[in-house]
Amino acid sequence: MAVCVAVIAKENYPLFIKTIPTDNELKFYYTVHTSLDVVEEKISSVGKNTNDMRELYLGLLYPTEDYKVYGYVTNTKVKFVIIMESSNTNLRDNEIRSMFRKLHGAYSDMLCNPFYTPGENITSRSFEEVVLAMMQQD
Amino acid sequence: MSRQSSRAPDPRKVNGELFTLTYGALVAQLLKDYEDDDEVNRQLEKMGYNIGVRLIEDFLARSNVSRCNDFRETADQIAKVAFKMYLGVTPVVSNWSAAGDEFSLLIENNPLTDFVELPDGHTDLNYSNLLCGALKGAMEMVQMEVDVKFVQDQLKGDNITELRLKFIRRLEDAVPAGED
Repeated sequence: MAVCVAVIAKENYPLFIKTIPTDNELKFYYTVHTSLDVVEEKISSVGKNTNDMRELYLGLLYPTEDYKVYGYVTNTKVKFVIIMESSNTNLRDNEIRSMFRKLHGAYSDMLCNPFYTPGENITSRSFEEVVLAMMQQD
Repeated sequence: MSRQSSRAPDPRKVNGELFTLTYGALVAQLLKDYEDDDEVNRQLEKMGYNIGVRLIEDFLARSNVSRCNDFRETADQIAKVAFKMYLGVTPVVSNWSAAGDEFSLLIENNPLTDFVELPDGHTDLNYSNLLCGALKGAMEMVQMEVDVKFVQDQLKGDNITELRLKFIRRLEDAVPAGED
């Protein structure tokens, strides 16, 4: 079960962060913030040689004591970060990929809303529902 | 979204999503310019009216329908032929009034509102008001004055989008009201 889902804009400011209700939400925000460095490193390194082969899914960014952080970047440099509990080791790579694909789909549907300006904070209810569904499964 | 078609595409046809996005951009810009929901509704209706008075000619030329004998036939033509031709959806005609001069069009998935979510604070906005204006304009050109308004709207939380058409009177004078 995802513990935190974050959407970060091209300029590296957060568009949307949602965590499971817990006392120490700040900890997740810090984790997402620090994971941005890893994301930048990944996209800058791979971008040099095989630009067309670069995948959107970045994979496991780094594991911490209790959590695993996964990253995904779109072609418009919008980043999705998912934090999962380490206890769910039975989660396969494909499942994480499909979660990101769902997120990307929901994000692009939300972008088609004419009342949403790209770069604004995300307040769309349908996008939030997709994220909540992801955090409540398993 | 993409459909493999064996015949050459009609160069005048446009992608459905492009149409939806264009209409969305139009409404968003109107909202930014006027900032008042009622004013935007009025503008959309005016624009729809202008489209309707022109579209009816295209409709009559392309669909080859004969003169309708009563209002019920008109309703069927609107729902089954016109909506299908221009929006690709077939609304259901229902809720006829006792006198037979009012009916509802129930639209399940309005192509104009794909992906749209109304922003908070704009709950009075009739997003698809262009449709109302277009129907009014088109009907006026065939000598019928009708009043069209939204009764239910999926964007506002209802299950279905419902348009109510009320026949007001037959216009004897063929010239429509002056366009302002």
